[in-house]
Amino acid sequence: MALQAYRHLLRSTRLAFQGDIPLLHAARQEARSNFRKNASLSIDDPALGTAIAHAEEVAKFLAENVVQGKHEGDNMYKLRIHEQTERGDNDTVKAPGGGKPIVIDGKTCGS
Amino acid sequence: MFRTALLRSARSATSQAVRSSAAIARPSLSSFVVTKSRFAPAAFQAARCYSAAAGLSKPEVEGRIVDLLKNFDKVSDASKLSPTSHFSNDLGLDSLDTVEVVMAIEEEFSIEIPDKEADAIHSVDKAVEYILAQPDAH
Repeated sequence: MALQAYRHLLRSTRLAFQGDIPLLHAARQEARSNFRKNASLSIDDPALGTAIAHAEEVAKFLAENVVQGKHEGDNMYKLRIHEQTERGDNDTVKAPGGGKPIVIDGKTCGS
Repeated sequence: MFRTALLRSARSATSQAVRSSAAIARPSLSSFVVTKSRFAPAAFQAARCYSAAAGLSKPEVEGRIVDLLKNFDKVSDASKLSPTSHFSNDLGLDSLDTVEVVMAIEEEFSIEIPDKEADAIHSVDKAVEYILAQPDAH
């Protein structure tokens, strides 16, 4: 479990910081030190599950919500958006809350 | 008239370029040094080769993995490095280090190893075996 989370995290750093060696090293160093710090947690410690979930979330965030930008001069940045980058969909904006009516002050919208 | 002459000279120039680079395109795969220089081909621009690359040879894969482990600072005893060494028993790596090694192997051969297979790689020969079974490893 933890090993898989660690692998996912390392893989996400590779995706998010592709070609950016200093940042890639820093991110991996951080991941390593945090995993080492929690390495002594026993298997039935409730903190273990939280730590693994945290690692998985960081991995997901790095893969989906971090985009590299390259300064192209003239206040222009070229973004490297890859296939895992989270992209909003206009339909989700039109139907907030997954299509359910939004509760404001206890009253439902549209009633 | 001028056009045909131009075409002819261009054709002979390309065929010469192909011929001269053909010698470079076929290095003897037995030597590891020669295969390494394959990654910086200077005369390769003249002719593109669309043929499938020759598969990796076992000694080459072993050499690359052992080199990779040599540069890994956590390896406690570099003298124990061999094509059969076990990551934790021989090299003193723990499970997190093993994940890092497998990740480095992925990057070295530009492939992605699925979790299940990656968990089963605990020694150099296991890794070599896996890489050799991958057609798109290079």
